[in-house]
Amino acid sequence: MGPKTFAAAVLALLAIGVGSAGAHHSVAGQFDNSRRAKITGTISKIDWINPHTYIYLDVKSDKGEVTTWRLESLPTAMLRKAGLTSEKLISGGATVTADALMARDGSAHLAWLLKLTYEDGHFFQLAGE
Amino acid sequence: MSVATTRLVFGLPVLLACGVLALPAAAQSAREARLADGHPDFSGTWENGSGIDFVQPQQKGASVCIFGCGGAPPPPETQGAGPTPSRPQYRPEFAARVADLAKRQVSEDPVLRCKAPGVPRIGPPDKIVQRPGEALFLYDDVSGNFFRIVPTDGRPHITDTEPSFLGDAVGRWEGDTLVVETVKFNTDTWLTDDGAFHTKDLRVVERLRRTGADTLEWSATVYDPTVLSAPWQVPPRAERATKVDMVEAAPCIEQSLSHMVDDTHHTNPR
Repeated sequence: MGPKTFAAAVLALLAIGVGSAGAHHSVAGQFDNSRRAKITGTISKIDWINPHTYIYLDVKSDKGEVTTWRLESLPTAMLRKAGLTSEKLISGGATVTADALMARDGSAHLAWLLKLTYEDGHFFQLAGE
Repeated sequence: MSVATTRLVFGLPVLLACGVLALPAAAQSAREARLADGHPDFSGTWENGSGIDFVQPQQKGASVCIFGCGGAPPPPETQGAGPTPSRPQYRPEFAARVADLAKRQVSEDPVLRCKAPGVPRIGPPDKIVQRPGEALFLYDDVSGNFFRIVPTDGRPHITDTEPSFLGDAVGRWEGDTLVVETVKFNTDTWLTDDGAFHTKDLRVVERLRRTGADTLEWSATVYDPTVLSAPWQVPPRAERATKVDMVEAAPCIEQSLSHMVDDTHHTNPR
């Protein structure tokens, strides 16, 4: 496919994934590879858009308060190539743990999604850790 | 007609029909892929190698790994940095402007804001629909779906239209090569991702030819003598037929650039 720009996001995450300090790492300009988050909740919404998809993870505190995390991820064509759909990602509302990188600009609850691991053990690894 | 010749002439269709004497697939395809007017027919969906070829997801049971699956990272040339490593060369007086735009790419590159990438940055067509006198180029881009109508019936460029992102294209045949000349671009596109601006006088000549039964070659030459010191020859790119058809592109709604904390380059290899 042409998209062509898909490589944009990819290069970015590749750079993070392999620790490259090269010029091609816009994700590194937005997210902090040294500040990692592990968040558990359920996926309430997915923005199936380009150039980046967004996965919204509802996290419930001990007091029952719900905080929604916005997890930025790959372009749609890459998820499609991997056979991933919104339905598969939501997985029937199953509990899922996200590994992610926090935003560098201090935005609360915004992160770059690395991996989703579901209760039954299956996972979707979307970026290098 | 001799008996032997008669057997050959009358026997050949039967043998071919039975598949006994099947022609090599390549020869068959190449011969059949022509329009009624005799010109090559490039109709089909084409993987052009500039997108996500390097993305090779690994599946294990219900789990999927797209990146970070272990093993060596893909070589640089497959990470999207190519296949057009060359860059247009500018007249000396414009070098500073290009460098400045490149430095401020995150805030200036139109493509990062979902605008149409222009030509030749959009690359080879992802799908071609062709009939005598006309070719339709379709694109599946992260910025959206785009189309270009390329008349090949000898008509001149349109004169009563506004400049646009993908310009006005006119095609002609040079032997079995489709030559597409495009003009009347707006100035809201870059030639590459590093500040390669152009003027309204940009002219792009693309060439498409069949290189095999299931392969095409696309190349382009960029002319903008006001700012370029010489025409820029975009390296040829191969397209190969694919059975994975295009789908409606997801909406392009940029939401991440406002969170960038520096001018870190956002690579876009087109």
